[in-house]
Amino acid sequence: GACRVSMSMREIRAGFTAIKTNIQSRDPIRTLSILSHPHSLHKVKSSDRCCITYQLFTFYVDKVFKHCRTEDLFVNRKISSIANSFLSTRRKLGQCREHNNCVCGEESTEKFKQILANYEGLNVTSAAMKSLGELDILLDWMEKSR
Amino acid sequence: SGELYCSLPNPRNVHFESINMKNVLHWSAPEGTGDGVLYKVKYAVYGVGKWIRKPECRNINRTWCDLSSETSEHEEQYYASVKAFLKGACSDWMETTRFNPLTDTKIDPPMVSVSSTDRSISIVLTAPEKWKRSPEEESVSLLQVYPGIQYNVSVLNKKTKKRWFFSISNNTLVVPWLEPGTAYCVSAQIHVPTPVLDSGFSK
Repeated sequence: GACRVSMSMREIRAGFTAIKTNIQSRDPIRTLSILSHPHSLHKVKSSDRCCITYQLFTFYVDKVFKHCRTEDLFVNRKISSIANSFLSTRRKLGQCREHNNCVCGEESTEKFKQILANYEGLNVTSAAMKSLGELDILLDWMEKSR
Repeated sequence: SGELYCSLPNPRNVHFESINMKNVLHWSAPEGTGDGVLYKVKYAVYGVGKWIRKPECRNINRTWCDLSSETSEHEEQYYASVKAFLKGACSDWMETTRFNPLTDTKIDPPMVSVSSTDRSISIVLTAPEKWKRSPEEESVSLLQVYPGIQYNVSVLNKKTKKRWFFSISNNTLVVPWLEPGTAYCVSAQIHVPTPVLDSGFSK
C-alpha cells in the first residue's frame, strides 16, 4: 500500500532558503553533483519513491548534517532545525518499512549506490557541504512527486 | 595576437532575473570603465563537467544575455559567468550563484475573466505559461510545474469599499449575494505554498 508521511516541508524549505547561498558558496565544485548526476532523481519510478526517500533521509541524517558545522551560528541553527525535521520524518518512514509499504526495487538500490559513490568521491566535509547545498534538489523532487 | 592582461575591473552583480522561467542573465559594467567595454558569456549545468559558450552573447556591449533556452530544463540547476574586455585588457570570469529555475523564478499574476448576473459574479482564473522558445512550441502551464498552486482572490465593492478575500485551489469562483447595479473590482494572485512563490495581484 501507499506510504503517506506528513512532514513540515514549508519549514524545511524556509530554513534551507535562508542559508542556501551561504552553503552553496562553500561548494566550489561545479562539475559534480551528489544527487542529480549522472542519474536524476526525477527518473525514479513511483514504486521506488518511498524506498529512495527513506534511504536519502537516512543518508542526510547519518552522513550529512553532522559534518556541516560552520563558524556561523545562524547557519548552524538552521541546519540543526532541518536535521530535526529529517530525523522525525525518517522515523515515520521507518514505520512504513516495518509494515512492508516501502519496498526497495533494483532501480532505487542502484540509484542510491550512485549517490553514495558520488559522496565518497570527495572528502567528508566537502561531500557533506555539497549534499546540504543540494537539499533543494531533494525537496523539488519530493514536492513534484507528492 | 596581443597578449590579454586580466587587469580590467570585473563585471558586477552577475545574476539571473527570471519571470515565468524566462531566464535572463544581467550584470553591471565594471567600475570606472566608461564606454567600449565588450562582454562574453558562458554557462554550465550544475553537476556536468563543462562550461558552454553562448555565441549570441559574444563581444556584446549590452549588459544582459537571454539564457532561457539554455536553462529551460527546470529540473536542472545552472551557473552562468561573464568576462569583460576593453582595449586589449580583460577581467576575470564573474559567476552567478547557483540558479534553480524552479525556486528562483518570479510568477506573473493569473489572467482573470469575469462574467456576472444581476446578483453574482463568476470568475475564471488562468495561470501563466512557462516561457517557451517559439509560439509553435507546446505550451506548459505553470500549473503543471507547480501542482500545488492556489489562488488568492480579492473582490472589492467600489461603492462601500468593502472587500472580500477568497483562497481557492481550483480556478473558478462564484461570488453570490451581490448588490445589483454596483461596480465590483476583482483581483487575483497566485500562491505556491512550497517552494514559497507568490505572484503580484492582477490589475
